[in-house]
Amino acid sequence: MKGNIVGHSVPKVDAKAKVTGKALYATDLYMEDMLYMQVLRAPYAHAVIRKIDLAQALAVPGIVRIITKEDLPGLKNHGLIFKDQPALVGIGEKVRFTGDTLAIVIGESNIQVRKAIKKIKVEYDKLEVITDPLRAMEEDAVTIHTAGNIVCTHKLDKGDIVRGFMEADLIVYNEFKTQHVEHITLQPDAGLATLEEDDTICIWAATQWLHDTRVDVAQAMGLPVEKIRIIQPAIGGAFGKREDIIAQLHLAIAVREVKRPVKTIYSREESIIATSKRHPMIFRFRTGVKKDGTLTAWEATVIGDTGAYASSGPAVVHKGLYHCTGPYDCPNVRGVAYTVYTNNTYAGAMRGFGATQTAFAYESQMDIIAEKLGINPIELRLKNAYQVGSTTPNGQKLYASVGVKETIIKAVEAFERLGGVIR
Amino acid sequence: MGDNRLMIKVTVNDRLYELQVDPELRLVDLLRDELGLTGTKEGCGKGECGACTIIMNGKTVNSCMVLAFQADGSEILTIEGMGDGEELHPIQEAFIRQGAVQCGYCTPGMVLSAKAILDKNPNPSEEEIRKGISGNLCRCTGYQKIVDAIKDAAEVMGGGGDER
Ligand code: FES
Ligand code: FES
Repeated sequence: MKGNIVGHSVPKVDAKAKVTGKALYATDLYMEDMLYMQVLRAPYAHAVIRKIDLAQALAVPGIVRIITKEDLPGLKNHGLIFKDQPALVGIGEKVRFTGDTLAIVIGESNIQVRKAIKKIKVEYDKLEVITDPLRAMEEDAVTIHTAGNIVCTHKLDKGDIVRGFMEADLIVYNEFKTQHVEHITLQPDAGLATLEEDDTICIWAATQWLHDTRVDVAQAMGLPVEKIRIIQPAIGGAFGKREDIIAQLHLAIAVREVKRPVKTIYSREESIIATSKRHPMIFRFRTGVKKDGTLTAWEATVIGDTGAYASSGPAVVHKGLYHCTGPYDCPNVRGVAYTVYTNNTYAGAMRGFGATQTAFAYESQMDIIAEKLGINPIELRLKNAYQVGSTTPNGQKLYASVGVKETIIKAVEAFERLGGVIR
Repeated sequence: MGDNRLMIKVTVNDRLYELQVDPELRLVDLLRDELGLTGTKEGCGKGECGACTIIMNGKTVNSCMVLAFQADGSEILTIEGMGDGEELHPIQEAFIRQGAVQCGYCTPGMVLSAKAILDKNPNPSEEEIRKGISGNLCRCTGYQKIVDAIKDAAEVMGGGGDER
């Protein structure tokens, strides 16, 4: 091979800076005259805010400014797919999960800011808190967003599902559930913002989609895109979480008001409460199979809990559905997926983008089928695994580079080499 | 603040500091906010993740769990004190060589834990290495490469090569 990059092991470009501790993450940025920012989160997971009393908080020494929605009536919602998420919730408006923000507090030191936050008094009227997406889908459930609790529905139809089930010798039905997963990027969420002389807002924060974040911050604030600059420092992990806006918008709002550099670092608890999660999903699979293990029909219902805001939910849950048969070929598939609002922390992208949750469900289903048929689970998989010429549930023909069977065989070999026994 | 500040003497990376510290100030904040040594990271503030690992009087400690005044009279090594300023320490070189650095946020703590392992035993077994870094979380989950890097460093530094 020519050249010295492709086919060679090349040290990571910033590895030296990272092993010496010189790499600067958003947490490591300091500026002269810098202020600290923290936000007041919602006191309850679903409520209408009636009053926010700042008097005592403003009296805490070192507090420079407290910003609420009342200061920014023109502030627009943001969001990756739907603009359904407010950066600030105002009087008469609803909080939809305990991570929603009521006030942005800025002061000379982090200790003072945290003290002031505790002194803000909030009055609110509680609403039914929905934590179960099945409850959210019921007729009489309170609606979390005006358009209803089902964000969107996706469907899948391949072959003839009725014929598929008629051809089956055995039909297996199961329901599987997965739970919220937190990314726990080792670097806590953090950022620093400055206001340049020409009023451009510069934001240093770990961001996976810089350009989307930039456009979204600008539209929410009603500013031209050129007035927002996002600068990427070293990123202490992202795993999908940092596709969403986290502190960027609050920092931009704050720096515009106080005209001094503003920094924030979330506590770990706050990050867990307020930032995206892996979607919990419910999978209902009805699978038809012949005595010899050949799949004939696969019917799937997928319900994804996207929490208080859609984030990447519509795409993630949709992908969960499209992967419902995993790497196994089934000629007849029908499915429907619902992306549902609840009052849980919003869920978004995380490593696998919906395919991970589904893997748990379809692999469990395959094991249960193997047991019922008395077939070795490896054989069942090899019998149905994709190969060149297979078609996925959404009709994509696989015409090259399909390594599933080879992978299964090699995995079995490795397992046996390490002393594993296959029964 | 002000009145009840405490006077401490502490040696960090061979440099002696005499400092006035707030009694509630944590060691991690002293290092990062006051001495500007931001190579020490904070991941949890709860003694769980090891991102804030430093070596104090020869032992690894989580600097988020120590108050600054408790470090009075101690000798501290942070990531900035590894290597001699110009040259990297062999452990740092091994981390780069073995691809043990991903996002890098756990790396300073991992490197210091690795040093503590090798200071104690220049020729550690894989199990000793794994135990030695068990207090350091890597969320990018490159543990195998980190273990490989520590083995590699042991070999380069003169121990190692012994497959125990
Ligand atoms: S920050 Fe100290 S152990 Fe996590
Ligand atoms: S390299 Fe990212 S946490 Fe270890």
